[in-house]
Amino acid sequence: MLQVRKNRLWKLIIILFLSAGGISLILFSLNSKLDLFYTPSEMLIADIKPGYRIKLGGMVKNGSIRRDGTLIEFLVTDFSEEVPVTFDGVPPDLFKEDSGVVILGYFLDGRFEAEEIFAKHDENYMPPELLIDEVKA
Amino acid sequence: MIGEISHFLSLSAVLLLSLILIFNFFFFFAKIHPNQLILSLRLFNQACWLVFISFGMYVYLAISDDFSIAYIASHSNSQLPIFYKIASIWSAHEGSMFLWIVFLTAWSVLFINSLDKKHPLKKLTLLMLSLIILGFLLFLLLTSNPFERILPFGAVEGADINPVLQDPALAIHPPMLYLGYVGFVIAFSFITAYLLNGDFDLQWEKEIKKWSFVAWIFLTIGITLGSWWAYYELGWGGYWFWDPVENVALMPWLAATAFMHSLFASSKSSVLKTWTMFLGILIFALSLFGAFIVRSGIIDSVHSFANDPERGLYLLGFSGFITLLALGIFAYRLPAINSSKLVVTGSKESFLSMNNILMVTSIFSIFLGVTYPLIIESISGEKVSIGPPYYNTIFAPLILIAAMFIMASIDALWQRSITIKALCMNITVPIILSLLCVYIVWKVTAIFSILPYIGIFSGLLILLSYFLRVINNLFNKKFINKGSGIAHIGLGLLFFAVSMNSILSYEKNLNLAPGQSISVNESVQEFFFKDIQVLEASNHDIISAEVSIFQDGRTIFLNPQKRKYTVRGQITSESAIHASVMKDTYLTIGDQLENGSWTFSLKINYFIKWIWFSATLMVLGMLLTIFKKTAP
Repeated sequence: MLQVRKNRLWKLIIILFLSAGGISLILFSLNSKLDLFYTPSEMLIADIKPGYRIKLGGMVKNGSIRRDGTLIEFLVTDFSEEVPVTFDGVPPDLFKEDSGVVILGYFLDGRFEAEEIFAKHDENYMPPELLIDEVKA
Repeated sequence: MIGEISHFLSLSAVLLLSLILIFNFFFFFAKIHPNQLILSLRLFNQACWLVFISFGMYVYLAISDDFSIAYIASHSNSQLPIFYKIASIWSAHEGSMFLWIVFLTAWSVLFINSLDKKHPLKKLTLLMLSLIILGFLLFLLLTSNPFERILPFGAVEGADINPVLQDPALAIHPPMLYLGYVGFVIAFSFITAYLLNGDFDLQWEKEIKKWSFVAWIFLTIGITLGSWWAYYELGWGGYWFWDPVENVALMPWLAATAFMHSLFASSKSSVLKTWTMFLGILIFALSLFGAFIVRSGIIDSVHSFANDPERGLYLLGFSGFITLLALGIFAYRLPAINSSKLVVTGSKESFLSMNNILMVTSIFSIFLGVTYPLIIESISGEKVSIGPPYYNTIFAPLILIAAMFIMASIDALWQRSITIKALCMNITVPIILSLLCVYIVWKVTAIFSILPYIGIFSGLLILLSYFLRVINNLFNKKFINKGSGIAHIGLGLLFFAVSMNSILSYEKNLNLAPGQSISVNESVQEFFFKDIQVLEASNHDIISAEVSIFQDGRTIFLNPQKRKYTVRGQITSESAIHASVMKDTYLTIGDQLENGSWTFSLKINYFIKWIWFSATLMVLGMLLTIFKKTAP
């Protein structure tokens, strides 16, 4: 085989090897790093593995916020079911009763342990699922 | 009245640009008449001026508080300083699209007039630019008209700018970002014109090189400003969230970086010609994709503008058309392009092309991360999102390989293979030193986590290789590429700082009453919440806490605030930040509890300043490259 061809073959093999490795890495991390999104009703009936990080979206129920030091407890509702949430820390400015939230965390024994609460820049923000439900109702 | 004139001028620009396209279409088959180009160019320049004057009048409308214009009424306020009245124009969709188009027009008109009168690609480039500007002007006027009036009576007072956007960094961030995004329209249209023209002996790199470099600088500054703003304004203490909108800015940046590197290879040793062209097309295509993602509201993100299917559809259609047109021409001409020279294994361009592959891989992974939730949702109806862990796992190995190639390429030569011996000599010392440093980091911090350590090691590899090279250079007086050196040191520093930040930073939530003090840990020995005050400012009320912290043998004073804006009733937090060389002490005040005490969030962020500094180094390196006297 010509030297040039040999070189080219080697290059091709290296490129194929790298891209195969890259793509399998990507697919592997995609599948293990997904955060599934649930509304309270979906969460209560879904079969969620313990220790699996998920997202919960809904409204903070009016009058449900309880504080103890830096610990905050509140209920997230979608107007049919509600899920109790606990969070340790300072929530974002737009976190208040009767407004939409998205929370990242773990669901364990009927309680949601929040790791992070997401604020939206838009003060009128509501999770899209709830908007649709409201229009339907 | 001025509103109508401004509107009319934009419409006239649409008319002129359509004229150029129609006129050239009919004369396409005819023999090219010398006046044809001159006439098109005149029409084009006039159309551009119309856009500028129209925007200038719009700025005047914003400054003079014309609240009969619906857009200005809902985003500005008579109490705002002039600076923010102007900035309010790009605080939402319609106005920011207008600005986007103004920049697009500015780049185009500057570039086309800088081209030589007889340049064979001038006409085709002009047509391509006209088509793109026309498409976006129509998008603005048809789906997102900023000139719309509130009839019959205008609003008495404006609804005010969103307070979190009322900040100098954020006022400059969108213009910088847009200047970067649309600057690549030059490479895009010039390359498309080159491919259409079909004369492949022509040199094309030189004309677009500096323009693309400048656009890259704007894009880098834009992204950095956005990240810096998010850090000090949003109160989360983070600088990058892998939010879809950040991702769509990062993709063109990576493509542009790859493009510049392969442009060097392509102009130095005429390799990778077609690849470079492909990248040149890809950057602007990704910018268009970004515009679609942000402005269609298809992805739920902190940045998304209001959801409007009509806009999304138009943007998708037009961006898709432009991209497919360019890629179609590329594919059609591909077999005809004189195959450029082969890359010599072990030469500088071989390492460079490997890193090009890595950058395209990372663009692909980000693209997948952005679109995957959409795909899943349309197939199974499940809602998913992809967060930082995905990107961290993807990027750590890529960064490591990239660092290896960067290290190997420093002493490699163009077109000539580096000897195995020289390569080993060059890489052994940095590898050993980096491993040693990583070991020291591990000993000192006593924290171990595999991904950040890969990042630290990669960053150190690049940094140490360049430092050794500089030291070596002092003795040997060998040639050193200063621009490239500084930019890559910036990159190494970025990897290092981001990784160190992720292992060392921590957060403490505190609950204290005024006058109370507590000890947090060995570093923050005393946290004293002295007092809280209520103040009044022009358009907001302020709750300001006085805190003194005894940290590492020094006392620092911090005043975290909460602001309530009177017009919108919106509440924002103003974090207090004390910066030292190694770390930031970042304090945010939370809420008041029933017993009168307050909650605080104290974050200690290590190496965060170094992140912005590394971006500055990259920009500096680029500037040096632009202003470098062309090597003999």
